[in-house]
Amino acid sequence: MRNLWALTVREWKAFWYSPVAYGVGGFFLLMQGWVFWLLMAVLNDPRVDPSWRMSQFFFGGTLFYWLSILMLAPLLTMRAFSEEKRTGTIEVLLSAPVTDAQVVVAKFLGAWSSFGALWGLTGFYFLLLRTYTRLDWGPILTGYLATILLGGLFISIGILASSLTRNQVVAAVMGFALMMVLFSVGFLDVFISDPQSSKLVSYYSVLEHVRQAAKGIVDTRPLVFYASGIGTVLFLTVRILATPRWRA
Amino acid sequence: MLMTNAIDVQQLAKRYDTSMALHGISFEVKPGEIMGFLGPNGAGKTTTLRILTGLLAPTGGRVQINGLDVTEQSLAVRRRIGYLPENVSLYPELRVQEYLTYRACLKGIARAQRRQRVDDVVGQCGLGEVRRSLIGRLSKGYRQRVALADCLVGRPDILILDEPTIGLDPHQIRQTRELIKSLGQHATILLSTHILPEVEIVCQRVTIINKGRIVAVDTPDNLRRRLAGHQAVQVELQGDAGTIEQALGQVPGVARVNQQLRNDGFTVFEVEAHPGQDVREAIFRLAVDRRWTLRQLSLVQTSLEDVFIRLTTQEQDS
Repeated sequence: MRNLWALTVREWKAFWYSPVAYGVGGFFLLMQGWVFWLLMAVLNDPRVDPSWRMSQFFFGGTLFYWLSILMLAPLLTMRAFSEEKRTGTIEVLLSAPVTDAQVVVAKFLGAWSSFGALWGLTGFYFLLLRTYTRLDWGPILTGYLATILLGGLFISIGILASSLTRNQVVAAVMGFALMMVLFSVGFLDVFISDPQSSKLVSYYSVLEHVRQAAKGIVDTRPLVFYASGIGTVLFLTVRILATPRWRA
Repeated sequence: MLMTNAIDVQQLAKRYDTSMALHGISFEVKPGEIMGFLGPNGAGKTTTLRILTGLLAPTGGRVQINGLDVTEQSLAVRRRIGYLPENVSLYPELRVQEYLTYRACLKGIARAQRRQRVDDVVGQCGLGEVRRSLIGRLSKGYRQRVALADCLVGRPDILILDEPTIGLDPHQIRQTRELIKSLGQHATILLSTHILPEVEIVCQRVTIINKGRIVAVDTPDNLRRRLAGHQAVQVELQGDAGTIEQALGQVPGVARVNQQLRNDGFTVFEVEAHPGQDVREAIFRLAVDRRWTLRQLSLVQTSLEDVFIRLTTQEQDS
């Protein structure tokens, strides 16, 4: 537990001590701020369907939502293992009495909590909004929950990609590609008429998960999907990290 | 055997895809010993050290550290060792003290003692001036010392140092060697290097490895003696070179005489003796009898370098 904490704090420092954090973070907040301003304009338009809520627009309702998650996750994770492999610090790290699982989980928690912190800052927009109107906090909170869970899955994928190469750019591209595949599953629905298959697709559709959550619906099936997804991907990463030791 | 060996390597083999890096090597390091681990580049030194620290799995054989198996009880082993890798790499964004505190934590030093422990290694490694500097801004010498401090911060019984003085200036090299020697009073050290004087200064025993095989294990003195095979004496005498050479050749115990250089009437001869014979006194008496002026009479030390070259090239020939 102490190791996990120390390792996670190191991950935080690696990100927040670097100028990259402020570039990425600044760009992200700028984009979200612009989205917020755009939504204000849209919601004030009387022609818009009044049954739509703010949270439905903000979480998954725009292209920018998906773009920012699909960009943020690889940027937060591309350095995780590739940088340590490139510089050789991975040897120093793994010769200390820490388990592979601790190292992988710490990398995950470090990036995930940074992701959460950046999204947390967008909460300011809702606080701002509250001073002018009454807000239904339920869907907003479930929207955040879905975003954090989706971010967790994408970040675990990014970390897996990072463990496969010593090149950050390759790690980012590979992670992005894998995330795109998962993201695209949701679009398959258009081509499917069989209701059984359609059900299967919607189970894997991150688009659908976020859409539902933004309406304020909490479903346990996506919760299981994200928890098991993150677990599986991190497990694979641990195995990859241990490769030099089992490939005797 | 009464005591468990600190490091016990038996029939250790490692295969990379197609080539064998280690062909079943065996050696032991006793507790408190400083063992030199010597070999040309690519001999398998770093591979061996990586297996010892649990970074690589062996293809065959067994390695025990303090009686613990490195593959079966990796965590327990890693708690006991301090490893200095060949290429020192540290996190550039951290400050020296911050980094050492983090490493102390990973190595299981309790929170209450961590500060004291970091202070100790900072003092030991001469890092006082830079303890608040960013590691990324430090010179190569300081970074090497930070890595060494990291190696020590967990109070390891066993230090595994891969080329600890590489890239340092002569002054730093001397300091580092002194430090390693002083550490040897409390810990067992396996010191990998290809710098021979380092071994002679620091180590009590040497293991020489070449092409994945051990070619010798002995003390530096014994190695020199055993592998030199004979003693050589350098003598500088005044007189007719031909006559002197002939006379020297007849001294009992002398195997061969070589004329080397002449200088204002003196000639330098190198006299090789048969194994186990000291011919210096006989040469002196000969010079006195013949009334030759003697300007120099000295033993030619076979350097460990000669031994090393001989051992590692013999291997190549066979």
